[in-house]
Parts: sequence; C-alpha cells; structure tokens
Amino acid sequence: MRKQLNYQIPRKGLTVWRLYGLFNTLVVSVLMGVACFLTYYFEWPSFIVYIAIALVLIVGLASIWLFPNIRWDHWRYEVREHEIEIQYGLFIVKRTLIPMVRVQHVDTSQGPILKKYDLANISISTAATTHIIPMLVTNDADSLRSRISTLARVAEDDV
Amino acid sequence: MSEDRFKLHPVAAVVDFVKGLKELILPFLIIFFANGFNVTFNPGDGSFWASIVPLGIFVLVIIVRLINGVLKWWTYVYWFEEKELRVEYGLLVKKKRYIPFDRIQSLNYKEGIFHRIFGLVQVMVETAGSTNGKPEVILTAITKEAADQIELVTRKSKEEEYENELQSETGNSVEKAQAPSSRVIHKMNKKDLLVLATTSSSMGVVIAGVAAALSQFAEFIPFEWLFEEFSDFIKFGFVIVAFAVFVSFLFTWVIAVIITFINYYDFTVIEENERLTITRGLLEKKRVTIPLNRIQAIKIVENPVRQMFGFAAVAVESASGGFGGEEKKITLFPLIKKSRLFKPLHELLPELEWQQALTKPPKKAKPFFYRIDFVWLLPVIALCSYIWFPYGLFSLLIIVPIILLGLWQFKTTGYAISGNQLTLCYRIFSRVTFVVEKKRIQALESRQTFFQKRREIASVEVTVMSGFTGATAKALNLETRDIEEMMSWLEKNDHLK
Repeated sequence: MRKQLNYQIPRKGLTVWRLYGLFNTLVVSVLMGVACFLTYYFEWPSFIVYIAIALVLIVGLASIWLFPNIRWDHWRYEVREHEIEIQYGLFIVKRTLIPMVRVQHVDTSQGPILKKYDLANISISTAATTHIIPMLVTNDADSLRSRISTLARVAEDDV
Repeated sequence: MSEDRFKLHPVAAVVDFVKGLKELILPFLIIFFANGFNVTFNPGDGSFWASIVPLGIFVLVIIVRLINGVLKWWTYVYWFEEKELRVEYGLLVKKKRYIPFDRIQSLNYKEGIFHRIFGLVQVMVETAGSTNGKPEVILTAITKEAADQIELVTRKSKEEEYENELQSETGNSVEKAQAPSSRVIHKMNKKDLLVLATTSSSMGVVIAGVAAALSQFAEFIPFEWLFEEFSDFIKFGFVIVAFAVFVSFLFTWVIAVIITFINYYDFTVIEENERLTITRGLLEKKRVTIPLNRIQAIKIVENPVRQMFGFAAVAVESASGGFGGEEKKITLFPLIKKSRLFKPLHELLPELEWQQALTKPPKKAKPFFYRIDFVWLLPVIALCSYIWFPYGLFSLLIIVPIILLGLWQFKTTGYAISGNQLTLCYRIFSRVTFVVEKKRIQALESRQTFFQKRREIASVEVTVMSGFTGATAKALNLETRDIEEMMSWLEKNDHLK
C-alpha cells in the first residue's frame, strides 16, 4: 500500500468551502423562489413547490455540509525533492504525481473571500497541465511556491 | 552574410485574397439564403435597398480584402541578418519579427493549387514557442529555390555553430559533418490508399454528409412520386432494393477514395538529420518536419475493422506543430500492416520497445468496464419502455452490446513498464497502444472510486505535452498494486541508486 500523503488543507479551508456552498444554495433558492412565485401566479400544479423546496434542501445539505466534508477529507498533498503529489476528488479519489523537472511555473492567487480568511491557492503548471492546491494559509502558500520554484530549477533532467 | 531583402511572389497577394474569400463564403451564403435570392436591381422595387445593402457591404469587404492582400505582399520583406530570419510587413503599422536560426524547430511547406501552377511553396516557420498551433512566420508564397535557400542558410549557420562548439571543446578542427543521410521510412502505394479509404472512419462521415446533403434538397425531391415508385419498387422485389443500397454504398466509397487520394496521395516519411519529414497530398501538397527529439509519445491506433484485417495507424504526439496548427497529432503511418509496423518504428526510435507482454487488469475488474454505463443506460431504458410500451422493452437489448463492448475493452486493456518506457493499451472503440518515455510524462494520475477501492482496483491516466493542451492516455481498472508500482516507477528514488 502506498503511504498516505503528509499534508492536509487547513481547517479554515473547509469553512471557505462551506461558504461557497452557501452562495451556491442562495443562488439555487433564488431560482426556486422564482419558480414558486410563477407556480403561484399561473396556478401550476402545487407539486412543483414541493420539488423546489426539496431541491433547495438537497443542494444545501450537499454543498454546505456533505461535499465540503468529503472533499476536505480526501485532500492531501506533499512536495518532495523530486516530485509533487496531490490527492483530491469527491466521488473519484484522484492522485496525481508531477515530476519536479516538468514544473514550468508556480502561481499563487487569492480572491476577496480567501483574503479575508488569509488563505491562497497555488497553481502548478507543466507544459501540458495545471494543478491547483487550494486553501493554503497565505504564508505557507508563499513559502511553498518559492520552494517549488527553487526545487524545479535545481531538478535535473537525467532520465 | 548577405543582407539582400527578399519579397514574396506576387501570387501571395492572390492566395491571401482567396483565403479571405473562403472565410466570407459562409456568411455570404447565410445572408443570401435568408434573403431567398431575392436580389433586385430595380430602384423602384420595395426590397431594393434591403437586397442592395448587404450586397454592397460584401463587395466593399471583398475590395478591402483585395487591397489588404496586395498591400501585405507589397510591404512584406524577409532577409537573413546576424543569424536571424527577419520579417517585416505592414504599411501603417509596421510589424517586425526576428527569429534566431537556432530557435527554428522546423520549416513546414504547403503547396496549394495556385502554388503548384507557378512552382511556389508556402513556408511555415515553427519555433518551440509556437505551441498554440500557429506558426511563428508564414511566407505565403515563395519560389522553391527561395525556400531551399532558407533551409540552406539556417542549416549552415546551425552547423557552423556546432563546429565552433566542437572546436572550442577539443581544441582542434573537426572534419566537416557528414552529408545529411536521408532514408525513406515509409511510403504508401495506391493499394494502401484504397484500403485506407475503405477502412477509414471517414466512410461514416461521408455517409453522414451524403445524408445531410440529401436532407438539404429534401423539399426538391418529389417524395409522393417517389413513394408511388417505391411501392412499384417493392413489387420488383428485394433484389432491386439491395441493389440500390449497394449503389449508394459504392457511391459513398468512391467519394471516400477520392478524399483519401486528395489528402494522402504520395504519402512519404523520410528521416534525415534527426528530423522526420512527411509529405503528402495530390492537389495541395503538404510537407511537415518534426525534429525527432520533439516527439513526445507514439500512438498506435487500430479501429475494429482494421484490427480484423491486421492493419494499424500510427500517430506521433509532437510538442510543436503539425500542418499549420489544425492538426496537433501528426500521422506517421496512416495505414500499415501490423506485422510490418515494428521494423520502421524501431529504426526511427531505437530506444523504445514495441512488443512486450502486457500486465492485464485482474478478473475481478471485469464488471467495472460496463457497470458504469448502466448509470445512464437504465434511465434511458426505463424511459423508452414507459413511453413506447410494450415495444420500448426492446431497448433492454442494448445491454448486450454494451456488456460485450465492456468485455472487449477489458480484454484489450493492459500496461507494460520496461526501463524508461511506459506502454498503455486501451480501447474505446479503436484499440490504442500508447508508448511514452519517462522523461516525456508531464503528470501521472490514478483514479479510484469508492467501489474500485473496495475491490482494490484503480484507473490511471498519463499526460504528455502535445500542441496546446496536451494529450492523455487512460488505462482503466488495473490492480491498485500495479498502479502504485507505476507511480513509484515515475518517482526518482535517490536512495535506491
């Protein structure tokens, strides 16, 4: 059995994911609210209202509670001298191995919400792919970025 | 170094203009079909302005294009200076582009009909940076001698540099590099072309095209009359219907053959100086060059029909290029007997192995190849059965081919690791053998669902650089252990050395 990767997303990341889920749910509830209003206005059959309410509940439950939990649970990463390994996914657990030699550049990015929580995303680009490690504490993200770029520069192509 | 400035051949203006016209055809057709061809030149007519304005705009656009083409040709110059290919054009906004010779990855040629008449070529200069599919510089039309000159100048300067390096390293002069040795790797004859046309998936495309064309003219076809005829037809019996079907297939086949001949006529692969040169085409000749070290992966594709007759196609995933960008994947052998495939490949890429024993997915993985399809299949079947009860129940029969396809995929799937080489074998419909070297792998990803985890199997996906987005190959439902082994193979283990 391959060993579990060392690092997890900080707990704060989970909170942000829940926040995103909340926004999602709000959008869905607005749409469903419109649907309910239309049903009331045009006197459509009333089961539409029940479906709408059920949908809001399901979306809320899934995107605020269930999905962030599972996702957070699955997220692991490790930056070693010669490769970067990340594990992520909701229903399908994906584990990606990127040789350090292939890394072309590393970016960090931070939106307003992430900034408020002092978090940042790192994206690692190779010639063909881009991989994102989300929700790292800003300081960690910055030091990780410079570490990866140093390692990538040192890594020699000897295969 | 000469500093003569060269101009393009005047035909370049025409070629640019015609290319512009091609882009205009579609909007032109749309507008005039929408108008129903009601063009009137009578100012008294009510629809005079409605029809004359779009026409006027089109004429204007065409004139602008023509002037553009002429201006571009008029101002376009290229020359060689300080080991760079320098290009300048533009009247009001001057555009300049300088490319150092040693950055030039390949010179690709294309000869359209206009070019053929005047003995010209279109040269596309590619560098490592042109991964977005567009060549760095396009010389629309120059004489073949001029094209040869470009090639000569760039090559000479590269060789000089190489020699200088050698001299500085060894301290004495080295004999001149040997004359470029070129050898033909693969050449297609007319018989191959026929087989290629017959077994290509473009047969399907042509059938769809014929059907689409027929449906376009549907309103002009007197269906009622046809159906009356058809009832007579039935009386004549089954033979005539079969004959009609046969004729339409023959027709389709002839079209496919013609298309294949136009595209692949005189398909030749030549290896020269660590570069592959592929030429093809009947009306429009194309020539593409790939440096061997830009090849990222090799893909052997056998569609079911070809597999039955023992034929395969081979494509290379290359970091740069293709024919001016529209094809990122470069076909190396459009069609080759599988038994004769390995010799030329071995000559070309001696460090790779081609025939290896594959590690297969375990028996317990079998259901995973078709089970996932049931997720969308069952609702579809339920819906069909509900709507068209009882005949909809026949949709249950779909399950059989799906399971068979799944089993076939299971049988095909496999992988092999030997030295620095990874081979993945998989099937969607066509069997694909994907061969890649360790140093070309950009990322390796394993995927595992909850159900897969329970049975200890997982899927794997490997990504290499190709064109702009990269190319991937997947092998599904292998033993988890095997995939972990694959992962640690890619890792660099210092402590093991």
